[in-house]
Amino acid sequence: MRCLLCAQPLMDDLSLAELLGGHQARLPQLCRRCQATFSRIDQTTCCPGCGRALPAPVLCTDCVRWEAREAPLLHHRALFIYDEVMKAFIQSYKGNGDYRLHSAFADLLAGQFSKNAVLVPLTSEPSHLRARGFDPVLGLFGRLRLARWLTKGDTDLPQAQKDRRGRLQTAQSFSATLPRGHARIRHVILLDDLYTTGRTLYHARNALRDAGYQGQITSFSLIR
Amino acid sequence: MIWAGMQLTEKECRAAAVSSVSLAQATQVAGLQQNGRRWVCQRCGERQLRALPAGGQYCPSCVGLDRITSETTLVRFAAPPIAWRGQMSWQGELTPAQQAAQRGVLASVAAGRDHLLHAVTGAGKTEMLFAVVAAVLRQGRRVAWATPRVDVVRELAPRLASAFQGTPLVARYGGAPWPSVDAQLVVLTTHQLLRYHQAFGLIIVDEVDAFPYPQTPMLAYGVRQAASGPVVFLTATPGEALQRAARRGQIGVSRLLTRFHGAPLPVPRPLIRRGRRWPHRLDKVIVRRLTLLKNADSKLLLFVPQIDWLKPLVRQLVALGWQAAGVHASDPEREAKVLAFRQGQLDCLVTTTILERGVTIPHCAVLVLGADSPLFSAAGLIQMAGRAGRSADFPADPVYFVARHWTADQLRAIATIRRTNRGRA
Repeated sequence: MRCLLCAQPLMDDLSLAELLGGHQARLPQLCRRCQATFSRIDQTTCCPGCGRALPAPVLCTDCVRWEAREAPLLHHRALFIYDEVMKAFIQSYKGNGDYRLHSAFADLLAGQFSKNAVLVPLTSEPSHLRARGFDPVLGLFGRLRLARWLTKGDTDLPQAQKDRRGRLQTAQSFSATLPRGHARIRHVILLDDLYTTGRTLYHARNALRDAGYQGQITSFSLIR
Repeated sequence: MIWAGMQLTEKECRAAAVSSVSLAQATQVAGLQQNGRRWVCQRCGERQLRALPAGGQYCPSCVGLDRITSETTLVRFAAPPIAWRGQMSWQGELTPAQQAAQRGVLASVAAGRDHLLHAVTGAGKTEMLFAVVAAVLRQGRRVAWATPRVDVVRELAPRLASAFQGTPLVARYGGAPWPSVDAQLVVLTTHQLLRYHQAFGLIIVDEVDAFPYPQTPMLAYGVRQAASGPVVFLTATPGEALQRAARRGQIGVSRLLTRFHGAPLPVPRPLIRRGRRWPHRLDKVIVRRLTLLKNADSKLLLFVPQIDWLKPLVRQLVALGWQAAGVHASDPEREAKVLAFRQGQLDCLVTTTILERGVTIPHCAVLVLGADSPLFSAAGLIQMAGRAGRSADFPADPVYFVARHWTADQLRAIATIRRTNRGRA
């Protein structure tokens, strides 16, 4: 096994508990040195609305605006800050299309969610899927049990090629099909790779509401 | 034509705004082709392809250069002969030993045979090859000067430009702009050679044993793919495969085992210490030697195995009166710091292995702290030691290997340097 990023051999000692069972032994896909280059978001002080890294847990200005427009807030949570290291990772994974990287954070993401919540990924639009050959969100969260309630239609430009204003003006392109018995499901977590303005995730939430889902909806992304 | 000899994906052709006239003359091949039962990447030779969930496969090895999938088309531009209107403007003189080595390379290149030029650190190997480059350019063929290290590309490009005035030259490395002239002389990283196909009448692979060339098979494939003539391998520390090929006579070889100033290579002095508090506290013995160096007005390159050793060491050196800075591969101020060291604003650089090659500083001592690290290979240690004693005025700068214990690589490095000084390869 080699580190997915630096291709150095992975040398990680399993603890006795992991060897004997009890804990699930999940080998990390990245070496310690590469793991340490990513910046984690402190979950105790992040913005309660969008999970952005902040010195103290108060609503950020973006979320104040979202609250005025689209209340209630999504209570989004994310693991990593979108810094230069993470930008380089996303460039390799989504930009260059190196599908090997899809499992880079699989061991981390596996432990994030309660068993009672239904995980709904934000899938990519058909034209992107065709060009890329894979769905980046399904790749990242692929080890989890996902409920594909949402589908996305083609848009004129990918979010990555727009400025902030253009992103916020993006029209709804999600449609939702709910399974029978969705009324019994209390909590849905929307999954995405990256939260930038929040536009995409709020559209996804609205699509679920329009389709008639009544329970709690929160969201999660790898990066904020 | 600007694109002569290149092979680009269709997407790259759009990004580089290749004219439709050029495109019409190019040949197009599928990016992945079947060879027997296996699919092979036509750019880098990779056979272990990866499947994509939506169907098809892609090449994971050269994915950093614009991905090749089952649907990619590679556009190859022919490299017709081109008359050389430049001249060799370099006017220096070669020592008799350098001339002898040069004759060896010229003979091999004329015979179309690959060649190993094994020249010790500080032998002046770049200048030795100028006449060889000129000979190939005169035939109307293109020349590539390739190296695994982007620092070496940046250092070489201006030197070659002034040595071959009037010759269209481009430098290619990751992040460099697309070429704007039909270059006869291309200075590039070995990764960028993958963007060329049957383009060069001569390829020089400088520092052929430097990371990541030996560890990355596609780079050697890229050299073969880009060459339509002989390849000259250049190094102070040839690996076993090249040495074997040279011994068996499969490739030509010239060796240059003395420096241009004729003095022997400084032999590293081992210092075995317990090093319990490295890097936070240096032993008194080391501090005493550093003070001696400081009093002798020497500069210092301090090599360390880990990035997190840089800060505490810089702090101690500054406390000892050195103008010190630390530098590592992803340091944003890397180039500025190295330049400040070259120009003398800094007299000490604490660094990881990135500066083991291609740096020439007069009157510079070398200290390798933690020479027992598994990251330091014999070749790497020889290269680091080779930073010392490069100028004719100070040919005997000291080199120290400070380690917790001996390693085979340290022994091999010192033995090789001693053997070289006795005139044996």
